Amino acid sequence: MSDPEAPVPGPEEAGAPAAEAPAGSAAEEAAAPPETAEPAPPPPPGPPRRDGTRLVVLPASRLRRQSRRDFFLFGAGAAAAAAVFYGLLPDDTRANLLTEGQREFLDSLEGRIGFSAKRRENVLNRALTFDDDVAEAIYSPGRLVRTFRKSDRTPVPNNYAGETPDPDYVPDWTLEVEGLASGKKETFTIGDLLSRFRRHEQVTRLCCVEGWSAIGWWGGLRFADFLEAHPPAPDAKWAKLESSVNLDSDGDPDPYFVSIDLPTARHPQTLLATHQDGRPLSVEHGAPLRLLAPMKLGLKNIKAITKIVYSEAEPPDYWNLQGYSKYDGI
Amino acid sequence: MAAEISPREEEAPPEETRTVVVQHHPLVRISHWLNVPILLMMILSGLSIYWASPVLKHAPDPATGNTDYLADAGTWAAAHLPGQRRFPRPQNWFYDHFSLGHGILAEALRLHWFFAYLFMANGLLYLAGLFLGRGWRALVPRPRDAGGALAMVRYYAGVVPAKVLRRPWPHPPVEEKYNALQKLGYLSMPVAGALAVATGWAIHKPAQLGWLERLFGGYDRARLWHFLLLVLFAGFVIPHVVLVAADGWDTFRSMVVGWSARRRGEGSDERP
Repeated sequence: MSDPEAPVPGPEEAGAPAAEAPAGSAAEEAAAPPETAEPAPPPPPGPPRRDGTRLVVLPASRLRRQSRRDFFLFGAGAAAAAAVFYGLLPDDTRANLLTEGQREFLDSLEGRIGFSAKRRENVLNRALTFDDDVAEAIYSPGRLVRTFRKSDRTPVPNNYAGETPDPDYVPDWTLEVEGLASGKKETFTIGDLLSRFRRHEQVTRLCCVEGWSAIGWWGGLRFADFLEAHPPAPDAKWAKLESSVNLDSDGDPDPYFVSIDLPTARHPQTLLATHQDGRPLSVEHGAPLRLLAPMKLGLKNIKAITKIVYSEAEPPDYWNLQGYSKYDGI
Repeated sequence: MAAEISPREEEAPPEETRTVVVQHHPLVRISHWLNVPILLMMILSGLSIYWASPVLKHAPDPATGNTDYLADAGTWAAAHLPGQRRFPRPQNWFYDHFSLGHGILAEALRLHWFFAYLFMANGLLYLAGLFLGRGWRALVPRPRDAGGALAMVRYYAGVVPAKVLRRPWPHPPVEEKYNALQKLGYLSMPVAGALAVATGWAIHKPAQLGWLERLFGGYDRARLWHFLLLVLFAGFVIPHVVLVAADGWDTFRSMVVGWSARRRGEGSDERP
């Protein structure tokens, strides 16, 4: 959009983009004899008024030309914005708003200017990656998350995405670990973990991606201690934590897995939790071992971990495959 | 200079000129209009996120287990608005009409983050335009604006009845770019925008930005503030659009071309 201020001479205008008329012409026209249709001579263009506006005197033809151009830009911008806006709308939203015929028509229009569902995914994923990069940039490994008093505790909902697993798995539970520096696969029982590592307690908050939060009193070994005792391969940057016991909402097996970067795993408040409220974890909360990473969204805090695999490449993440962030740092 | 201009004047009669009031810097105009799609998407995607975990909740409804006041509003609307009786799931009526839809949290979050960054960038664009174009001067409140704003509220409250009764109902005098109520309204928007960004960050990164979360009274309070700011935006936009429409073409045009043909408060200009 053009700037009608441009032709007015003034100290502030020194850096303004060159206007079509040479500087000074407006002032001369203002000083021209009052032969225009206006009965009184227009007040001279003065310094900016107290409210920040200023009077300018412009040739009517130039004002018309500028207005035409600005309205053209406005219309073109509105059309472009509408195209981008529609192009980014989720399929469900389009289905809610439009009939199938309207959708097909608009989608074919969008296709002609290069929009597609794939491009939409790319754009939104890039925005998500950018947000993850910002989160990583403000993450400081030494910064502790807020801790609370035990009296601040709130009920922690059982937010298993599907059905809660049958407790039958607990007695035979073991933890398998792969990708270790030793090159061997190791297996741990809950007794091994409880006896070999010091138990740390903390009252911290879980924040769910949905928007609710819950403060719990957790106990368990530090993931950092576990990593030190059983170091991963030197090139490892990631841990994939899996649970083979998770079920979907029909009760069918639906293994859960999350990716955790090793700096997060080494954070002093990241626990391989074994206890809640001073008692061993219940099945609802991931008996006998769950992740507690309070600097990540709740969905990274995997319950009933059965396997940890260290790797150099970033492993897949259950919710990331469904369109959520894979970093999830809060 | 005079010597240069005189030959031209002999060739053609002097061109017709117009005196206009330059009001809005180009960056202000651009960011103003960009706010339309950006804020719309922020509100639509924000309500889709809200669906997943409502902020305003009541005890579970014994029949449906619902705790969400907005779902209640939808149920009511589906039952009482004309032509809505056959809406498949009345509980979702509100979200299917005023958000991107229900049950699309992942998509809504991605759109919310994307447009949040656009919103922040656009806010910077607006602030740059506000300072480059001196527009901030029209927004600085003064003590007497309180009375002026009340006079405007009184005017708006009575303008329709006065029209009906054919009574004179003069507009309070406006000496500056904005009347006092406009000034407060337009000032409240950048403030609300900044607060929306700050509360948004507080609930997006409550662990890393714990100080920000605490500034707003904790996580749940920050969510409540974030939601109330949406209410404030909606409460601004609706009368804003209605009043611009009522005020007429010049006001709308000024946000496209930057100038107004209305020369308001001419007398006050002469004051030192």
